[in-house]
Amino acid sequence: MSSAVNAPQTVPFSYLDRQFANLDDYLADIRELVLTGDFTLGKPVTEFEQRFAKMIGLPYAIGVNSGTDSLILPMKLMGIGPGDEVITSPNTFIATVGAIAMTGATPVFTDSNEQYVMDPDLIEAAITPRTKAIMPVHYTGAMADMPRIAEIAKKHNLMIFEDACQSIKAAMDGKPAGSWGLTAGYSLHPLKNLNVWGDAGVIVTTSKDLYDRLRLYRNHGLVGRDEVAFFGHNSRLDSLQAVVGNRLIEQTDFITEGKRAHAKRYDEAFADMQPMIRVPYRDPRVHHVFHLYMLRVQQRDELLKYLNDHGVEAKVHYPVPVHLQPAAAHLGYKAGDFPVTEEDSRVCITLPAHQHLTADEVSYTIDTVRAFYGAKKG
Amino acid sequence: MTQMISSDPVPYVDLAAQHAPLKADILAAVEGVLERGDFILGGAVEAFETRLAALIGVRFAVGCGNGTDALQLSLRALDIGPGDEVITPPNSFVASTSCIRLAGAMPVFVDVDETYNIDPDKIDAAITPRTKAIMPVHLTGRPAHMERILAIAAKHQLAIVEDSAQAILAEFDGKKVGSTGTLGCFSLHPLKTLNACGDGGVVTTNDEKLATRLRILRNLGLQTRDDCAEWSVNSRLDTLQAAILLVKLDHLEAWTDARRANAARYRRLLANVPGLTLPTDSPRERQVYHTFVVQAERREALRAYLSERGIGTSVHYPVPIHLHTAARELGHERGAFPVTERQADRILSLPVHNTLRPDQLDRVAATIREFYEESR
Repeated sequence: MSSAVNAPQTVPFSYLDRQFANLDDYLADIRELVLTGDFTLGKPVTEFEQRFAKMIGLPYAIGVNSGTDSLILPMKLMGIGPGDEVITSPNTFIATVGAIAMTGATPVFTDSNEQYVMDPDLIEAAITPRTKAIMPVHYTGAMADMPRIAEIAKKHNLMIFEDACQSIKAAMDGKPAGSWGLTAGYSLHPLKNLNVWGDAGVIVTTSKDLYDRLRLYRNHGLVGRDEVAFFGHNSRLDSLQAVVGNRLIEQTDFITEGKRAHAKRYDEAFADMQPMIRVPYRDPRVHHVFHLYMLRVQQRDELLKYLNDHGVEAKVHYPVPVHLQPAAAHLGYKAGDFPVTEEDSRVCITLPAHQHLTADEVSYTIDTVRAFYGAKKG
Repeated sequence: MTQMISSDPVPYVDLAAQHAPLKADILAAVEGVLERGDFILGGAVEAFETRLAALIGVRFAVGCGNGTDALQLSLRALDIGPGDEVITPPNSFVASTSCIRLAGAMPVFVDVDETYNIDPDKIDAAITPRTKAIMPVHLTGRPAHMERILAIAAKHQLAIVEDSAQAILAEFDGKKVGSTGTLGCFSLHPLKTLNACGDGGVVTTNDEKLATRLRILRNLGLQTRDDCAEWSVNSRLDTLQAAILLVKLDHLEAWTDARRANAARYRRLLANVPGLTLPTDSPRERQVYHTFVVQAERREALRAYLSERGIGTSVHYPVPIHLHTAARELGHERGAFPVTERQADRILSLPVHNTLRPDQLDRVAATIREFYEESR
């Protein structure tokens, strides 16, 4: 290993402490909200929903309490429940699978592909008479192959619920998540591209009917204060978080373009490092937003330690695939069932790529990675 | 009617007035969270849980997304689901029943008595081999008859999930609600006495195993970042809200005293008004008056009369849960729960919030007297 890297510094994975340059504006908005007392489904929520829908390019958005709820509520509302099966990818955060399980349905996995998203070639083999829906995950900020998945869903008469929790502003063939399926669920968790200061989620849809019913479903089924149409959830986007979202939403392009620019530099810097580093294929149809910048590398755990020791906060998403979690024991999967996902859990590493990184910090990260493998500076 | 009385409007709730004196402290709390950046299950959540547990007199408190989720997560922690029955009153906010349906279990209603709470005499008859829990609601801020309920639950080996959403700091026989059942569930909704500036909830218990399971259940089933023990929801109390709640906890006793003083003043000013029935009281209870509910003859006329004079009132709740469209699947007819149904047509909630001024309260009382005198 070379020691020819720059002087050690810290390249943080999280950017939250750099988000607060104009903190006074946020606090002024919060002060105003506190003085109105308009805390529940208030004006800031409606404003945020409208702006979010417009940003995604779809007619309807519904704010909910979390990204997980943005997946659970539409499935339950459409009648997915015990006895049903929903097909998804095992290469995802556990919340995708938790959401399916919370409806009472059984999650059924199909392996992911080279781009970390569900492999469309494997879906049809997983369909049974009990299959009701497909939940593609636009994992890392990429997009699953929605034209193929939409075709399969149509052929087998299945619903599509898109898990877009990591992919705000991602698109395929120019079409955003939420335009391919019945709904797409987005997360605004503090580590997401567009984030608020706590838990929150958004459902987008093109269906007026679903929009109307989801608005009731997130708020106890209340048509008016005293009329309950159906038993519903309490899953509301807090006004306080919407106030934050209304300021941050203006930064979405800055955030997305920043991440895409860093990703492009990483892609180019590591292109010549096969087989130590494999940069994923970048599908030209996909507008990738790089919530996570992930590479497949040799000696992953050693590299992770080396980077962390040198101040680069690299991470692993995720060391244990969902189908091998204790929670999945009842589903009966075993090691070897999903070789691509399982290999990824051993070889993938996530580099810091957030919008607030400086060019020097990206250079330092590149040089540190290259130095680990004994390569020259990028 | 005396001319000394203020003619200011009397809003039923006044969150703005509650928050005006807290503004600086709340913003400082928000800034503190921003400085730490620990937005998810951060330090303020743990600090809030510790203080709340001590306040209620239990070993554990677990914050969650809202009061409905507090109930729903509690049922799941008790492994209550499809095929099980939970006994609860039909007079409550709908979430008291929806949480049971969301857990997959069936609500079995037991009518209330003159306290507006579940009638302990009628619980035994509703118990079947499928019954797993009793979920009393401490409605209006008045404790349900916990001694009787605890005895019934012990006899039939049932869990008790106390729906304490409206009753923080209420006591029965000197014990706070949420401390004697298996689990106590609180809402921290903006309209509650201890209120977040948004949605929040908390579960209290003395059972360490249940507390541990609740912490896992509220956080996607995660035991650690990379170890998912069971599938679950995401229902966390926001750190920001916990920080705000810590500010408010300092005032909770005073706010509760203010509500109790308001109730006592109403009792004095509205004694012996023909047509009006005041809530009863018992030396065994400490009521905290989330609502001050009277029963009124010609309620709608009285409500309109008050409204025309700038006085806000509310009704909790005009439609019993079993008669909502949502409850059709349960198959109850009108007449099934006669006490609840009769009350629903007569009950009226008067302003009782902690920023209500004595002159405002006096005007409410005087206007009610005037209504019944004019119409005699």
